[in-house]
Amino acid sequence: MKNTELPCIARLRNGKSATLALAEASDGALLLEFYRSMSEEDRLVLKDDVTTAEWLDRFLAALHRGEALSVVGKLDGEIRGEATLYRTLHGWARHVGEIRLNVDRSARGQGLGLELARHIVKLAIDRGIDKLVAHMVDSQIAAKRTFEKLGFHKEAELPGHVKDILGKKYDLLVYANDVSYIWSAMESMLGDFRPDRATR
Amino acid sequence: MTKTEIRVGGLGGQGIILCGSIIGKAAAIYAGKHATMIQAFGPEARGSACSAQIIVSDEAIGYPYVRRPDVLVLMSQDALIQFAPQIKPDGLVLHEEELVQTAGKLPSTVRALAIPATRFAEELGRRLVLNIVMVGFFAGATGLLPQEAVEKAVLDSVPKGTESLNLQALGKGYDYGRALLA
Repeated sequence: MKNTELPCIARLRNGKSATLALAEASDGALLLEFYRSMSEEDRLVLKDDVTTAEWLDRFLAALHRGEALSVVGKLDGEIRGEATLYRTLHGWARHVGEIRLNVDRSARGQGLGLELARHIVKLAIDRGIDKLVAHMVDSQIAAKRTFEKLGFHKEAELPGHVKDILGKKYDLLVYANDVSYIWSAMESMLGDFRPDRATR
Repeated sequence: MTKTEIRVGGLGGQGIILCGSIIGKAAAIYAGKHATMIQAFGPEARGSACSAQIIVSDEAIGYPYVRRPDVLVLMSQDALIQFAPQIKPDGLVLHEEELVQTAGKLPSTVRALAIPATRFAEELGRRLVLNIVMVGFFAGATGLLPQEAVEKAVLDSVPKGTESLNLQALGKGYDYGRALLA
C-alpha cells in the first residue's frame, strides 16, 4: 500500500525537473556542500551556522531522533533546496512545528521552494502537528509569498529580534498556520459518524 | 452463496461506525459485492458502547442483521464480553492488543488475532487513526476484500487533508494482518 508521496519529481517553471526526497544521513555531505555554496548574503539571517560539520552532526542527530524532518530538492544530483520541520517530542509545544526553508539562488523563482514547503507542511500534518510556524524578516519577500500561498499569516512581529552575521538588527516576523482544523473534522466524524450524512 | 457476517464493536469516539462503513463501502462500491450495515450506539457521542453490523455477500442480502458473526473486530473489552457468545464456532476475532484481553474468553475453536493498533496509530502521529489501522488489519487478516478497494473506500470516507496518514494507517494494519497469516 502507498505510504508517502516522496520521493517524487517536481516540474519547475523553467522546464527542469527536481527530485524531492526525504533527507537521510547519506545526504549529509551534499547538504553541507549546499549550505557552504550559499553566499554570505543568503546566510545573513539563518538561525544556525549551517556551514560547519558540528551543525551537520546536530542536524543528523535531530533527524535520527525524529525531532527534525527534512525534504531536499535535487537538480542534476545536487541539492538546490531544503525544507526542514523542527519539532519537540515532549512538552507544551509538542503540537507546534517550525519550518525552515532554503533554496539556492540559482533555483529561485522556479517553484522549487513552494514544492518543498508544500511537502514539508503535508508531512507535518501527517505527523500530528497542529500548528506550524515559520520565522523570517521583512525583506524575505519570496519566502513570505510562499508561506502565504500555503495558508500562513503573520501572527507576530518582534522588533529587533534578529541580528544578522554582520551585526545588523531586523524585526522578526512570525508566520503561522493552524492546521488543527483538518484533524478536527476527522475527530468529529468519529464521535457521531452517520454514513448517510457523511460529506467531504 | 458466500456470505460473511461481521460485527465491529468498541466505544463511541473510536470510529467504530466509520470502520464498519469503510468495510461495507469497499465491498459494495469498489469490490463488486453486496453489503449492508446496521449501526448502534448509546446516547453519548463518545464513551458509550457502539457497534456496527456488516454483511458482505456475493449475492443480494435479504436480512441485514448479523446473527452469528464470522468475524468480530473489537476495540473494547465490553464489546468482547457482549459479542463473543454470538461468534460462530470457527469464527475469527480481530482485536486491539491492549484494549481487549481474550484469554479464557473465547471457545477454543475460535481464532483470535491481536494487533497493537493504538501503538501503531500513536507512532504514526494520531491516535485518531486507530480505527483505520483496524480496517487494514481486517482486510489483511481476512483477505475478504482487495486492498485497492479498501484504499479507495478510505480515501472516499476520510476528511480532506487526512488522506495520507489514513492510508499509512491502513497499510500498517494490512501489512500486520498479512504477516500474521504468513
